[in-house]
Amino acid sequence: MKYRYPALAVSLCVAMAAFSAASYAADGASPDVKGLYLLSDYPAISVQAGTTTTVNLKLRNYDMAPQRLALSVSGVPKGWTATLLGGGQPIEAAMPASDDSVSLALRLDVPKDAGVGSHTLTVSADGATSHISLPVAVTLAKQLPAKLSVSSQLPELRGSSKSDFEYTFTIKNDSGQKLLVSLAAQAPRNFDTAFTQAYGSQQLTAIPVEAGKTKDVKLKVTPPDNVDAGHYPVTVKVAADDASADAKVALDISGQPKLSLAGRDGLLSARATAGKDSTVPVTVTNDGTAPAENIKLSGTAPSGWKVTFQPKVVERIAPNQHVDVQATITPPSQAIAGDYVTTLNASTHGENGTANFRVSVTTSTVWGIAGAGIIGAALLIMVGAVARFGRR
Amino acid sequence: MPRNGSREGSAFHGLGVVTLKELSDHFASARMRVLEWLVVLVALAAVYGAIQQIRAVTAEDPFLFLRLFTTAREPLPSFTAFLGFLVPLMAIGLGFDAVNGEHNRRTLSRILSQPIYRDALLFGKFLAGMATMSISLVALWLLVIGLGLITLGVPPGGEEMGRALCFLLVTIAYAGVWLALAMLFSVTFRSPATAALVTLGLWLFVTLIWPALAPAIAQALLPNGDEATLVITAQALSRLSPSTLYAESVLAILHPATRSLGPVYVSQLQGALMGSPLPLWDSLMVAWPQIVGLIAGSIILFVGGYVAFQRQEVRA
Repeated sequence: MKYRYPALAVSLCVAMAAFSAASYAADGASPDVKGLYLLSDYPAISVQAGTTTTVNLKLRNYDMAPQRLALSVSGVPKGWTATLLGGGQPIEAAMPASDDSVSLALRLDVPKDAGVGSHTLTVSADGATSHISLPVAVTLAKQLPAKLSVSSQLPELRGSSKSDFEYTFTIKNDSGQKLLVSLAAQAPRNFDTAFTQAYGSQQLTAIPVEAGKTKDVKLKVTPPDNVDAGHYPVTVKVAADDASADAKVALDISGQPKLSLAGRDGLLSARATAGKDSTVPVTVTNDGTAPAENIKLSGTAPSGWKVTFQPKVVERIAPNQHVDVQATITPPSQAIAGDYVTTLNASTHGENGTANFRVSVTTSTVWGIAGAGIIGAALLIMVGAVARFGRR
Repeated sequence: MPRNGSREGSAFHGLGVVTLKELSDHFASARMRVLEWLVVLVALAAVYGAIQQIRAVTAEDPFLFLRLFTTAREPLPSFTAFLGFLVPLMAIGLGFDAVNGEHNRRTLSRILSQPIYRDALLFGKFLAGMATMSISLVALWLLVIGLGLITLGVPPGGEEMGRALCFLLVTIAYAGVWLALAMLFSVTFRSPATAALVTLGLWLFVTLIWPALAPAIAQALLPNGDEATLVITAQALSRLSPSTLYAESVLAILHPATRSLGPVYVSQLQGALMGSPLPLWDSLMVAWPQIVGLIAGSIILFVGGYVAFQRQEVRA
């Protein structure tokens, strides 16, 4: 047989209770409970001075005819405000139907100067025949345990302006109910922040946390590329209903060199003759925030080409300084005339500057001179023939 | 008449007289008029087709004017292809009876009895032929450019004009080869009809048959050669034909993106920016061997004709 659980008979779930009572009635079994009751999940609570607390109540009618019940609260300490709310507005009376219940709420506004101690408030419901009351014990506590807390395992990270800073936060819900915790991060201007799940890529703005459980979220902070070296704090704020918590983390950004290459006056083209060295002046500039050291210069060219630098390695370039070097580009002697792409590279630790040079290759004029020589030889033959065979 | 006797005075004494007389003869002759009309009409048809095609198809081209010479529209070939075909015909028409015609009219001995050397006679005939061809080709070239200016409405750039001018000079050199060949045969064969037939036959052979035959000959010469060697050999053989030389040099000059006229290995194209035009000077360097071949070929053929003529008995 279904619904043979005694607990169900006193279930707070209205629909279930009604259904089970109906099924009991249908089964002909007499219910154990009969009458009007004023119920509360937690009839004794702790509150903090200066806050507003709500106590959920329920007026339950078990197998009785419906009747009007006037509601009142007595024993309210001086300065406190106790309001009975039903359906979101203050109420004076309630009328539960047979085998049905009405939800009520007792809102307590505790003044800031309320002294520490216990008070008992009595909620009464008075009808024509029944008089029921529920005492609610309210204890004033100095410091309530936090309902929400957030903590970071690694609150200080160091990196360059190109790194991603990832902080993992643990959010703990100590309140008695499931909370939808909203997430916010306060970072310096132009810093990009994004919350994701600990193992996920979906960005979050809020995350539900079960009562008494913890959840891990990840905060990714992306500093702007051109940020100066320094220490940047980020405040993470989590909030739900009436609880909030925050945690502080920090980014320690070290400077980053940034290399760029260009020809003289920004020119990115060069001329070269097949099989011959041609020298291209190249300027290496550090636009970054830290000095670049031990910069290796190299070139990527089509196969058979030779690209060398003089010098091959630059010791050091301070920020916003530049160094002139000479690149020697040698196309192979069989190179066909035309334009080619050559990539020149300057690299230091973790930083790379490249520039694509357009190299116009011209073929050697030796063959051109040889051709002119052939024509000259043909003309010489003609002159010789005129001299040899010339007749009067 | 003593052989190998020392000559008195310049070999070119009387050259100007012969050249001017030949030139006026050429321009007055009905043969020349027919040839000119043929060339002009056919070339205009080709250019008209090219203009229609350019208007319909080409959106933007940095060398729009050069497309005038190279664009073909079915069923007509392009202007350059026409010239490659008709310039030899014109040159042969001018030169096939240069010397044997004089023989047959019995005027050669009469001319040579004047104070004019044989050298001057042959040089004069050749120069007059070249001048005739040059004047016709320049007129035709200007006609095409003017037509392009009117119909396309785009003024040609400096580099385009430079390339067009180089194209004109190469065409004149090409005409020189055929004129020299026609004069060589006009010296060798006494009958103008034979000379004309032999020259025309040779022209048809080197223009149409030889390029098709070259790969087969390369295959026969190098039965075990690898593909690259065969291609290179076939190309070298086909370059014996002046038509091939002319077509290749025109390609390099009028298509600025042409980087090489021979076979190219893939490794040589690594990193190359395809389609980027070469400067005029580099294009000329690409076509230079072909141009040298045309110029040197015409000189050598002329020297052959000259030597043959000098050794000939003139008395008729």
